[in-house]
Amino acid sequence: MTPNGYPAPPSIDWLMTMPALLVAGVGIVALMVEMFWPRRSNSAIIFLSLIGLAVAGYFTAIQFGMPDGETFARMIVRDRLGLVLQLLLIGIAFISILFSEGYLREKRIPFGEFYPLLLWATSGGMVMIATKSLLIQFIGLEILSIALYVMAGMSRNEAKSEESAIKYFLLGAFASSFFLYGIAFVYGATGGLHLDLIAEAWKADDPSMRNLLLFGFGLILIGLSFKSAFVPFHQWTPDVYQGAPTNVTAFMAAGSKVAAIGALFRVLEASGVMQEFWMPALFWIAIFTMTLGNLVACTQRDVKRTLGYSSIANAGYLLVALLAHFKSPDKVGLQATIFYLVAYSLMTLGAFAVVSLAAKGGKEGTRFHDLAGLYRRAPVAAGLLVVFVASLIGIPPTAGFFGKYFIFLDALQADLAPLAIVLAVNSAISIYYYLGIVRAAFVAEDSPVRPAMSGPVTFGNSLATAICAVGVLGISFVTAPVFEFLAGR
Amino acid sequence: MGYGAIWLVIGLPLLGFLVQALLGKFVIDRLGAKRGKWTMGLLAVAPIAIAFAIGAMLTANLASLPADQRHFVLTLYIWITLQSLSIPFEVVIDPLSLTMVLIITGIGALIHLYATGYMAEDKDYPRFFCYLNLFIACMLVLVLGNNLALLFIGWEGVGLCSYLLIGFWYKDLANAKAANKAFIVNRIGDWGLTLGMFMLVCVLAGASGSLTNGGDNRWLSYDVILPNAIALLKDNPGIATAIALLIFVGACGKSAQFPLYLWLPDAMAGPTPVSALIHAATMVTAGVFLLNRLHVLFELSPVASAIVACVGAFTALFAALVAFGQTDIKKVLAYSTVSQLGFMFIACGAGGYWAGMFHVTTHAFFKALLFLGSGAVIYAMAHNQDLRNYGNLKKYLPITCWTMFIGFLAIAGIPGLSGFFSKEAILGHALAGTFAEWDGIRLGYVAGWVGLFVAALTAMYMTRMTWLTFFGGKEQWRSIPAAAHDHHDDHSHHAQHAEHEGHGPDVHGFFYTEEEITRNRDMEDHGHHHELDASHTPKEVPPSMWIPLVALAVLSLGGGFLLYNGGLFEKWLYPTGLALLPPGQVQAHPHDIPLVGLSIGAALLGLLAGYAVYRKGLPGKEGWDMAKWNPFRREALVQFGYDHAMVEAADEGGGALARGLWRFDSGVIDGIVNAVGGLTKGLGDLFRMLQTGYVRAYALLMLLGGIGLLGWFLYAMNRVGAGGHG
Repeated sequence: MTPNGYPAPPSIDWLMTMPALLVAGVGIVALMVEMFWPRRSNSAIIFLSLIGLAVAGYFTAIQFGMPDGETFARMIVRDRLGLVLQLLLIGIAFISILFSEGYLREKRIPFGEFYPLLLWATSGGMVMIATKSLLIQFIGLEILSIALYVMAGMSRNEAKSEESAIKYFLLGAFASSFFLYGIAFVYGATGGLHLDLIAEAWKADDPSMRNLLLFGFGLILIGLSFKSAFVPFHQWTPDVYQGAPTNVTAFMAAGSKVAAIGALFRVLEASGVMQEFWMPALFWIAIFTMTLGNLVACTQRDVKRTLGYSSIANAGYLLVALLAHFKSPDKVGLQATIFYLVAYSLMTLGAFAVVSLAAKGGKEGTRFHDLAGLYRRAPVAAGLLVVFVASLIGIPPTAGFFGKYFIFLDALQADLAPLAIVLAVNSAISIYYYLGIVRAAFVAEDSPVRPAMSGPVTFGNSLATAICAVGVLGISFVTAPVFEFLAGR
Repeated sequence: MGYGAIWLVIGLPLLGFLVQALLGKFVIDRLGAKRGKWTMGLLAVAPIAIAFAIGAMLTANLASLPADQRHFVLTLYIWITLQSLSIPFEVVIDPLSLTMVLIITGIGALIHLYATGYMAEDKDYPRFFCYLNLFIACMLVLVLGNNLALLFIGWEGVGLCSYLLIGFWYKDLANAKAANKAFIVNRIGDWGLTLGMFMLVCVLAGASGSLTNGGDNRWLSYDVILPNAIALLKDNPGIATAIALLIFVGACGKSAQFPLYLWLPDAMAGPTPVSALIHAATMVTAGVFLLNRLHVLFELSPVASAIVACVGAFTALFAALVAFGQTDIKKVLAYSTVSQLGFMFIACGAGGYWAGMFHVTTHAFFKALLFLGSGAVIYAMAHNQDLRNYGNLKKYLPITCWTMFIGFLAIAGIPGLSGFFSKEAILGHALAGTFAEWDGIRLGYVAGWVGLFVAALTAMYMTRMTWLTFFGGKEQWRSIPAAAHDHHDDHSHHAQHAEHEGHGPDVHGFFYTEEEITRNRDMEDHGHHHELDASHTPKEVPPSMWIPLVALAVLSLGGGFLLYNGGLFEKWLYPTGLALLPPGQVQAHPHDIPLVGLSIGAALLGLLAGYAVYRKGLPGKEGWDMAKWNPFRREALVQFGYDHAMVEAADEGGGALARGLWRFDSGVIDGIVNAVGGLTKGLGDLFRMLQTGYVRAYALLMLLGGIGLLGWFLYAMNRVGAGGHG
C-alpha cells in the first residue's frame, strides 16, 4: 500500500515486452516517414523496418537463459516457447519485407503503408504468443487481424483483392466474436482473465461452473481454429490467400499460423484438465483438416489456392504434433511442433517468394500455366522452388522431411497411431499437387497467345529465397542441436 | 618405414586424381598445350611411381619378418556402425595385398609413363589421367581393404573407371555402347558378389556367440571371416558351395570368364594404355585376387572348385579359338587375355592358388608389354588397328618389334621366359591335384589337359599376330582395298559415326544442338591426322613410349625365373601351405606325366604350325575378301555367334519381358493407382463443392462446426456426469 491508499504499482520488467513494443513503435515511425515524404522513401521505410526487426530480434534473443516469469500484472509472459515463436515471427516479417519491395512495385501498389501494417501485424502476433491473459491474447489477435484485413485489400484495382479483404474481415469478425464470447464465459466461471485460473476453477468441482468453463473454452477454441484454419473453420483460407497480394499471403500463411498455433498451445495447456473432452474432438478435427486440405488441393489449378489448401493440411500436421504433446507430455516434448513451425514458415515463405515473381506490370498470373517456362526466365528461382516443394512434400534432406518425421514419431510415442497413419497417407497424397507446382514451373511455354508473365528477380527476392533455402536445407543437418536448444537444455 | 605409410600408397593416386580433375584444364590453359601437358603428365606419373617406391619398401620390411608374422591390420576409423554390424575403414598388409600393390603401382607407373606419349595429342589429356589415377586409387582400395565392403568399394570404383575409360572417346556411339556393355555385364557379377557377401554375414552373425575374434561385429573383415569360416562351414558343404559359387559369379564378371566375358573384347574401344592397365594387367585379375583372398571358402567346397576349374578351362579354350578369327590387333590380345585369365582360374580351381597369382604377375608383365607394343604399332600406323594392313614392320619399328617379340615368346610358353614358369605351375597343379572333384570325376585333371591343348593354340595364334604384324616381307598397307577404312582407335570421325548409326543421342539434339555438333566436328577435323594410305611410312615411337616397353620386356624375360626359382613366390604367398587342404591333394608336379616335355612340345608345335602358315605374311584366304575365309575363321570372328545370341536374348527377351511387365503395369497397377487417384480426386471435388465462394455459406459451416463442437462437449459432459470427478 502506498501512503495515499492506492495499491503499489506493479514492478514492470520492460525487457519482456520490449520486442513487441519495438516492432509496433518502428511501424509508427515508418508511417511517419511515409507521411512526410509520401511515395518517395520506400527504401528508407524498408531499411528502417529491417533495422527495427533486427533490434527486436536482438532483444528477444538476449532473453534466452533469463528466468521465466510474468510482468504487467501477469499480462506478459516470458518462457522459452514464447521467445522462440516471437523470434520466428520477427524472422518471417523480415523475409516478407525482403521480397515485398520488388513485388509491390511490379504489382503497381507501392504503398509505404504496407510496411507499418506488416510490422503491426507482427507485433500483434507477438503479443498473442507472449501472454497467458485471454484479454491480451484477444487484443493481439485483433491487432494482427485488422492489419491483415487492410493488407489483403491493398491491391485496390483488383476485384479479387477487395473480395479477399471483405471475406476475411466478415468471417474474421465472426470468429472474433466467438473468441470474445468465450472469454466472457471463462471470466464468468473464473472471475479472471488469466489462463491459469481455468485449472483452479475446474478443480473447484462445481458442475455449473464446469459447464460454463467448458462452453467458454469451446468458443475460444472455435476462434483460434478459425485463425489456424482447421476444418470446418477453414473455408476463408483459399479465397483469401488467392485474392490477397502474394507477399501478404506469404505473411498470412506463415506469420498468422505461428501466432495462432502459439496461442492455441497456451489455451490447450491451461485447459489440460478438460483434456478428456477436447482430445477426441481435436483428434477428429486433425484428421479432417489434414485429409480435406490435401484432397481439395489436388483439384486446384491456381498456385496460391493450392498453397492455401496446403496450409490447411499443414495446420492439421501441427495439430497432430500438439495433440501428441498433450496426450503424453512426459514422453513427447514440444520440440517437434516448433521445429515444424520453423520448417513450414521457411518453405512456405520461399515458395510464395518464388511465385511472387510472376507479377509484372501491374498484372499477376498465379494459375499453373502462368508459371510455365519459369525455369528459363529465372532458373535459380525455379531451382529453389524445387527445394521448397521437396521440403513441403517431405523429401530428405529437407527440413520438411525431418519435421514430418518427428511429428510422426511423436504421434506413435503418444499412442496416436491413427493420426500418424493419416499423416503418412496425406503426405503421399500431397506429392501429387506439390509436384504439379514444380511441373508447371518446368514445362516449356507452349501457348504463345498468352505469354507467361514474369518480373525481374530483385536482390531482395534472391536474398529472401536464399535465406529460406539455406534454412530448409541447413536445419536438417543440425536437428539434434536445434532440438536440444528448443528443449532448453 | 612404418606400415602407416600404406595410407600414402592409397592417398597419392587419390591426390593425383584431384590434381588432374581440379587443376588440369587450368594448368594447360595457363602453360600452353605442350608445357601444360608435360606438367600434368609428370603430375600423373609421379604419385604412382612414389606409391610404387613406398610399396617396395613396405614389401622389403614385410619380407624381413618371420613368415607367421607377416600380417598387419591398420584401422583408420570406424566407417559404418550399425546395431550388429561394424565396418571399419581398415587395410590389411600381408604378402598377397603387397604383391598386388607392387603389380598395380609398378605396371601402373610404366603405363602412365607410356600414356603421356600415347595421349599427347588428345585435348582431354587431364581427363584421361584423372580417370587413370582414380583407377589406381580404387584398385589399391580393392586389394588393400581388410573387409569385403572396402573390396566392394574398390570393385565398383574400378568398374566405374573402366566404364569411363572405355567410353573415353564418348562421342563415338560405338565406344559409348561398349562402355555400357561393360558396365551392365558387370552388374551380373556384382549381383553374385553382393549375395555372397550377404550370405557370409548371415552365417557369421547368426553364430556370433560362438566365434573367435568376432566380438566387435566386424562380419565383413577377413580376419573375422577366414578363421571362423572353417569351423562354421565345415559341416555345411552346401552353404559353403553356395557362398563360393556366388563369389565366383562376381569374379567371373570382373575377370571376364565365360559366360560373362563378352564385355572385355568390346572394352578395347578404350585408349590402348587403358586396355593394357585395366583390361589386361590389373582390374581383370581382381577375380583371381578375390579367390586367393577367400581361398578358405573354396577349399571348403571341392564342388565349387571343380566348377571354377571347368569354367576357367572352357573360357581358355573358347577364347583361344575365337582369337584365330580376329583381325583387329587389340581384339586378338583381348581374347588372349580372356584365355589367360581362364588359366588362372584353372589354377585356383585345382587348389594352386599361388600359381594363379603367379600367372597374374607374369601375365601382367607380358600382356602389358604386348598391349603397349600394339599401341605403339597402332600409333605408328595412323591409328589403324587391322592386322591385315600391317606386315614387315620390324623394318620401321625395331624396338617395338623386338620387345614385343619377347612378350610373344613369354605368352607362347617358351622355356626360360616368365610365361613358361607360371603356365607350368598351373598345368602341374591341375594334372597332379585330386582336389577339384565333382561326383568322383576329376574335373581339375580334365581342365589340365584342356589347358595343355590351349597352350599350343596360344602359341599358334600369337605367332599369327606377330608374323602378320612384324614379319612376312609384305607391307600390306601399300595395297589397302578402298572399303577397308575402319577399326579406329581414334576420335577423328565421331560425329560422322554417330550420324551413321542413325539413332545416336546427338541426332535428337538431346546432348548437343545441331550447331554444336557441326562446331565439334569442325574442331575435330581440324586436328585430324592423316589416314593410313599407301605412302605411309611408320616411325618408331618416342622414348616415353618405348622405355616402358623395354622395362616390361626385361620383366617378361627374367621375372618368371626369378620368382619361381626355389619356390620364392609360393613361399612368399603361402609360407605354411593352405589352411585346409593337405599337400597330397594339391601338388605342383604330376608324377605320371612328363609335363615339362609335353608343354614345351605344345609351345613348339604351336609356334611351328603358326610359322608354317604365316611366314610369308598374310595368306590369301585371310585377306580383305571375307568370302574366301574358311568357315571356322568366319565363325570365330563373331565368337561363334555367342555374343550376338546373348545380346539378342537380352535385348529381345528383355524387351518382351519389359513389354509384358508394362502391360501388367498399365492394366493392373495403373488401374489400381488410377482408381485410388480417381477416388482422391472425386473426394476432393466433392469437398470443393462446399467451397461455394459465398461468405454466408462459409459462416454457416463455421456455425455448424461450432454447434458440433459445443454439442460434443455437452454430450460428453452429460455422459461423464456434469458433477462427476472428470
